[in-house]
Amino acid sequence: MQLLIQCCVLWFVSPEGIEALCNDVNVNHTDVRMLIFAWKMKAEKQGYFSKDEWRRGLKCLGADTRPKLKKAIEGLDKELKVPECFEDFYSYAFQYCLTEEKQRSVDIETICELLNIVLKSEFPNQVNLLVEYLKVGKQLFKLIYVQNDYRALNMDQWRSFYRFFKEVDFHDLENYDSSQAWTVIIDNFVEWLKEKEKN
Amino acid sequence: MSSQKKRTFQIEAFKHRVVVDPKYAEKTWKVLEHAIHEIYNHNASGLSFEELYSHSPLPLDGVWNTLFRIHQFMPWCKNSEVAWNAYNMVLHKFGEKLYSGLVTTMTSHLKEISQSIESAQGEIFLEELNRKWIDHNKALQMIRDILMYMDRTFIPSSHKTPVHELGLNLWRDVVIHSSKTQARLRDTLLELVLRERNGEVINRGLMRNIIKMLMDLGLSVYQEDFEKHFLSVSANFYCLESQKFIETCDCGDYLKKAERRLNEEIERVSHYLDPRSEIKITNVVEKEMIDSHMHTLVHMENSGLVNMLVDDKYEDLGRMYSLFRRVPTGLTVVKDVMTAFVRDTGKQLVMDPERLRDPVDFVQRLLDLKDKYDKIINMSFTNDKTFQNALNSSFEHFINLNARSPEFISLFVDDKLRRGLKGVGEEDVEIVLDKVMMLFRYLQEKDVFEKYYKQHLAKRLLSGKTISDDAERSLIVKLKTECGYQFTSKLEGMFTDMKTSYDTMQGFYASQSDVGDSPSLVVHVLTTGSWPTQPSPQCNLPSELLGVCEKFRAYYLGTHNGRRLSWQTNMGTADLKATFGKGQKHELNVSTYQMCVLMLFNNADRLTCKEIEQATGIPLLDLKRCLQSLACVKGKNVLRKEPMSKDIAEDDTFFFNDKFTSKFFKVKIGTVVAQRESEPENLETRQRVEEDRKPQIEAAIVRIMKSRRTLDHNNIVAEVTKQLQSRFLPNPVVIKKRIESLIEREFLERDRVDRKLYRYLA
Repeated sequence: MQLLIQCCVLWFVSPEGIEALCNDVNVNHTDVRMLIFAWKMKAEKQGYFSKDEWRRGLKCLGADTRPKLKKAIEGLDKELKVPECFEDFYSYAFQYCLTEEKQRSVDIETICELLNIVLKSEFPNQVNLLVEYLKVGKQLFKLIYVQNDYRALNMDQWRSFYRFFKEVDFHDLENYDSSQAWTVIIDNFVEWLKEKEKN
Repeated sequence: MSSQKKRTFQIEAFKHRVVVDPKYAEKTWKVLEHAIHEIYNHNASGLSFEELYSHSPLPLDGVWNTLFRIHQFMPWCKNSEVAWNAYNMVLHKFGEKLYSGLVTTMTSHLKEISQSIESAQGEIFLEELNRKWIDHNKALQMIRDILMYMDRTFIPSSHKTPVHELGLNLWRDVVIHSSKTQARLRDTLLELVLRERNGEVINRGLMRNIIKMLMDLGLSVYQEDFEKHFLSVSANFYCLESQKFIETCDCGDYLKKAERRLNEEIERVSHYLDPRSEIKITNVVEKEMIDSHMHTLVHMENSGLVNMLVDDKYEDLGRMYSLFRRVPTGLTVVKDVMTAFVRDTGKQLVMDPERLRDPVDFVQRLLDLKDKYDKIINMSFTNDKTFQNALNSSFEHFINLNARSPEFISLFVDDKLRRGLKGVGEEDVEIVLDKVMMLFRYLQEKDVFEKYYKQHLAKRLLSGKTISDDAERSLIVKLKTECGYQFTSKLEGMFTDMKTSYDTMQGFYASQSDVGDSPSLVVHVLTTGSWPTQPSPQCNLPSELLGVCEKFRAYYLGTHNGRRLSWQTNMGTADLKATFGKGQKHELNVSTYQMCVLMLFNNADRLTCKEIEQATGIPLLDLKRCLQSLACVKGKNVLRKEPMSKDIAEDDTFFFNDKFTSKFFKVKIGTVVAQRESEPENLETRQRVEEDRKPQIEAAIVRIMKSRRTLDHNNIVAEVTKQLQSRFLPNPVVIKKRIESLIEREFLERDRVDRKLYRYLA
């Protein structure tokens, strides 16, 4: 443990430190496993680990040596098998992107990246369509009265994506019921999917 | 009986045992039998009871004698117990014989009577039947009187049919139900009814008697022997007749005929049938003549319901209503066809592009349409509430098909309050305003109306163009009653400002000692927020005005601390005295902008558009409109433009038009009159309305969630809609967006497990 704490003097203050960590364990910093590691640590600020957070993370992983740490991080994606855990992680992922004090929404670009990192393995097709919609779809809705121009999304909308992927079959959109309190962006996404299918 | 006084009469008890000799009984029965024969042979009419009993040709002795004597005196006998006992005792032994004898005798007589009736030819049949029936009744009455005490004592205890009833039953079985008579009677009666229906006069008295006979014989006899067949034959008759009429008559005529037949049948029943038959026969007529042909009638080409409505055929409509009311679903059919037609008419009216050019005419036509149908419902449909409601819902439906209805109604009101109601009495003004309120109630988007109404009211107040302050206030009161205080508080603020401004002006001029040459100024001080106007930057006022304007500003701010005043140069008016080339003088009534432009020509002969823009600081678009109104309108061209085109380009040159002439001394050039908006203006207003709705929706959501704490999505949408319906109909998608916005701002949260559920966060 002492060994790792010594090493972490280098690591814990800055993004550069994290990059070094990533190099050490041979995992890309955009890899989902780094994000999972942050979640385990309950890291509050993106790009930084505090001493307590670091300690928490190591304890969770049961790693006290570098090789152990490397191995633990490599296997982190298995942590998400349980649905409750995944949902918690999923929400955390969004929160992690809120960098400013009173920030409540995350820009579209980051959302798309996050979707790719977090959900693509489980819902590859759906994620591709949603990302396409978020980036391109807004152009189609100029005539509709309610503004559909999304530049940033909030936690509620983020959460609705995962739920939507889990509960709705993309091949069976006729049964989608917009009075079921889905978020408006999901309602519009479904409209866009239906239009797309027709053409 | 003779008029004997009541006196006590005592009968001594028999001192010896009474032995009744059957032979005596037999003898005495013969007496009775003979008496009955006599009665039937009409020989009893002259007989009195005394004669019958005391002067009979055969000796009456013994017990029977005593019996009859007792019978004679019975009404006056107080101590009649002994007599009764004796009588009963005898009756007990011989009552059976007496009764069976009666049955036999009567039956044989009736058989004779029946044969005589059967042999009656043609017309006489009924008459003979009637005659014999009358006789039978008389006879029956006498027999009953003779045997009254048997009727009262022996018959009840032995459970036999009383005499009178027995007589009727025998008549029924022997005479009426004889194989030859039964069918003949029925057919004769039905044939008479048919002939009467075909216009012949029949013997109603005879019919009545025969029918009454059947009823006396028992309700089931009447029903089985007559009524049942009467109804079935009538059904056929009317089925055929209605078919014929439908093919040859138009709707109005058909209904007249149907009504006539219905009344005929009712009258027929009252004259010679049982009253209980009325409902049955009317049901038959209603079914055959109305129910079966309901849809054909209503939809009949050129004469059906729609034609009647269009042509205001009150009588025909009234007849249709009262007839159709009698059949199930009749009125529903009428109501549905009327509703569909009104909706269609209304829809065409509101969607017709021609109509949309003249808002006042548009609204007037709506009012006329309502008046027309109100009158129809009043005059022909007895003010039936369901029809009223259907009319109201139709209006509500199509008025809201046109999104500009709120604006147009406000323009209509504006026209009326500006000039339409000039000289109209107070009561009539109220009537017009009430009609406007009625249309207002139909509007779904009342908040849009409010926006326009405010704009138009502001223009009216500021230009001083309202014909009656009372009428204005009366309408505000009506709106307040309908929509609550919030709706009208700002409107009332506008009135207050006008009054206050007036007082301020008085105070201002009182305070100015030296008025001098400066132009006289009238200032309206408007409270921001009460007035719907868009603030605009002040343009450059002519120097002649600056002095008095500053004086006013100083005066006002001197008496009102901490306020800010800004001149709204886009809203004012001015009266200018102008002298033209040949010395002709005119007074020009212009807007403030127009005044600024014209005053420039006191110091310059020619100016380009650009130069004018720079000098006055008026926004370009407004300036172009202003220059057009001064140079391009015939009769109002106080300026001359080069080139003469209608469009204004920046380097067009303007000259004071020396050659201007007008028949009027006062020339009105400025327009601050309310007009229907252009398309882009309309879009802008609509966007503002939508923006205004967002906070109202949010406030409603927060109110609801604060009291309910948790609520699911559909219920929130329903509650919000209900709360706001007096102002507008919120779009469910907009409600959803507002909820999401409130979630983002952490007023609400979505439940983690049930995503349809929302929770209020304190």
